[in-house]
Amino acid sequence: MSGQIIRNPKLAWREVDGEMVIISPEDSQVHELNETASLFWKHAEGKTMDELVERISAEYEVARETARADLEELLAALGEKQLMFVAPEEKG
Amino acid sequence: MHLEKTAGFVHPVDAWDRCVPLQISIGSVPLSLFIREEALLGPAVRRYREFAYTSEDGFPIVLKKSETRTGTNVEFSYLLDDAKIVLGSQGAEFQGVRHEYALDSLLRILLTMVLLPQRGFLLHGATVVRDGRAYIFFGRSGAGKSTVASLSPKGSVLTDEISLIRYSNGCWQAHGTPFWGEFRAAGQNRLVPVAGLYLLKQASEERVEILSIKQSLRALLPCVLFFTSEKRAHETLLRTLLKLIKEIPCHRLHFRRNAEFWKVIAA
Repeated sequence: MSGQIIRNPKLAWREVDGEMVIISPEDSQVHELNETASLFWKHAEGKTMDELVERISAEYEVARETARADLEELLAALGEKQLMFVAPEEKG
Repeated sequence: MHLEKTAGFVHPVDAWDRCVPLQISIGSVPLSLFIREEALLGPAVRRYREFAYTSEDGFPIVLKKSETRTGTNVEFSYLLDDAKIVLGSQGAEFQGVRHEYALDSLLRILLTMVLLPQRGFLLHGATVVRDGRAYIFFGRSGAGKSTVASLSPKGSVLTDEISLIRYSNGCWQAHGTPFWGEFRAAGQNRLVPVAGLYLLKQASEERVEILSIKQSLRALLPCVLFFTSEKRAHETLLRTLLKLIKEIPCHRLHFRRNAEFWKVIAA
């Protein structure tokens, strides 16, 4: 997975007490992220999964495989709700 | 969206549309309603009599019988049954309005858009004035807004259905509205500083529970009247609500269907 992780550009959001409250304007759905997901929301934008794995494993001294599994699970959960996803790579 | 109170319309106004406008002001938003149809004008004059306003700079709203050509500067449109609102920066058109109830609904929709950049919004809530301050009891249909209004002294209720909250003169104010539910009334065109927000929850006892910022936001969002799917509008709404709940306490009010709830509010 080498593409950039991005937030769904259609969403409106604000940080409330360190956690994200996100509104989907098209269906007025409100999403609230927990602390971990909120950190991911804040820091994953524009990064690749490889970059995140590198950073998390160094910062928290966890094995790359563990970091990757956790991050991919988080991204999958956010992707399921159409909040964040890997940007499709531009065809050159 | 920045709406300016300048002369001009979504579309160039036909000479036919020009008539003496019904001038009203709701939430300190002056509006000029151009209604040619007598069958609609009479009920509108009666419905909004408490909100009559003498001004020539009202935001122009032209009522058209049917859909007309679409202007190039349309910023928002919304279809409600057979009626449609088309809003531009310098005015609005209400199309296909056949009765005063449709007019009322389109006015609510218009106000949600006009108030937004002015830190204002409409909320499903009853506003009751006590000791010169406004208490807003909000909740979805069936929460008890009309019950609260019916239990309050005559003349103290600014609305039993749709509250208008707006930041002005350095504080949050609740405005009277002509938008009523069960207890249809002409309303009072006045504004009162907001004392508190109360999410209604019917219970077997009276109790007030203070809500955190996040809980307050979660409580308020589903009760705000909002019709646009524009991202920036939602961002503005979020900003406004967060400012409000950081400055005005928001609670959950557990209450029985009697006036005892004032005891826990005053406590």
